[in-house]
Amino acid sequence: MTADTNRILERLAAGVEPVRPLATPWRRAAAWCGVSLAYVGAVAVTMSVRRDVISTLSDSGFVVEQMAALLTGVAAATAALATTIPGYSRKILLLPLLPLAVWLGNVGQSCVQDWMAIGPQNWAIAEHWPCLVVTIVAGALPSVAMVLMLRRGAPLTPGLTLALGGLAAGALGHFGSRLVHPLDASVVVLVWHIGTVLGLCLLARLAGRHFLTWRSLVQAAD
Amino acid sequence: MVRHGLDMIDHGASNDRLAALMRAAQAGDAGAYVQLLQDVTARLRRIVGRQRQFLAAEDVEDLVQDILLSLHAARATYNPRRPFMPWLLAIVKNRLADGARRYARGPAREVHVEDLDVTFLAEMTNTVTEVGDPEALRQAIEALPAGQREAIEMLKLREMSLKEAAAASGTSVGALKVATHRAMAALRNKLTS
Repeated sequence: MTADTNRILERLAAGVEPVRPLATPWRRAAAWCGVSLAYVGAVAVTMSVRRDVISTLSDSGFVVEQMAALLTGVAAATAALATTIPGYSRKILLLPLLPLAVWLGNVGQSCVQDWMAIGPQNWAIAEHWPCLVVTIVAGALPSVAMVLMLRRGAPLTPGLTLALGGLAAGALGHFGSRLVHPLDASVVVLVWHIGTVLGLCLLARLAGRHFLTWRSLVQAAD
Repeated sequence: MVRHGLDMIDHGASNDRLAALMRAAQAGDAGAYVQLLQDVTARLRRIVGRQRQFLAAEDVEDLVQDILLSLHAARATYNPRRPFMPWLLAIVKNRLADGARRYARGPAREVHVEDLDVTFLAEMTNTVTEVGDPEALRQAIEALPAGQREAIEMLKLREMSLKEAAAASGTSVGALKVATHRAMAALRNKLTS
């Protein structure tokens, strides 16, 4: 067995090639965010930006929601990339919590206000499949880019890593879909937009062990 | 207290040396990489042996090999401005946890079969197979291409599992299967012609 280990050492050393150390999670998240926002912008323009986009910029609730979603995306991307770096502080996992809390709190507060205003008898969750489709389309390239970037790191916590990656991509998808869809009904946003984002997280978490494995990393290094 | 201080300095110097070797290895310096891997292997044997005292020596060595392959695959994730040991120990912790999960799953997947003697009535199963010329077989194996010879030696002569042989030779399980298949065909041709 020791002889086998020696052979592994010889083989690894013989085949060693220069590798460029990965940039810090912050820099990689910034690069991901730049590419993803360009794509999300292109999707919004292609699917036609909502007509009232200028007037919604004066709506503080909308602006806070969009900024919180964007910051959640950036923070979740940074945390996801950091989880693939051995020895990186786990405190970074707390980073997305604040913008996520602001995002969910903002939408939740709007839901409560609507409930109080229109009463439970008029409260109905209408079907808005286009919201789901636009969120998924806008989040598609950010998702693929995130998976590719995560696969370059070490699969230390595959489920958690991909769940954070899914949150990052979903948050940017939500950001894009809110620029397209003119509906501001809070319950629609909660169920069809944020529900889609959380569904994406859950799927990503379940897929983690298949997409991020030591075996695939070792084979890629050979 | 003084002794503890000296240990800290020694530990720090060792960490710096490993970090320097890793930086050189990332730049493609094979000599530095050999030194690093040899140093790390000795440390890994101690760490894994201490943390997994219930494991047999060969299982400890399997884990050490797993960690070495992981270290190699993830070497781009090492930040040259950070200390080396926390990076390595995070990989060790993760691979040991994976190993523990595999170890726990192992018995659950095994089916205990009673060791009964099984005989068949068919004539060919009760006929002693004619043993060929061992020297001719040895020469035929030596004449095989390197990859096929290595596959035959590991899988047929040393009776290693496909996984062990793949880890030892650095090839994939699929490539080993192909090499073995071709080697067996070549040996059959050579010995029957």
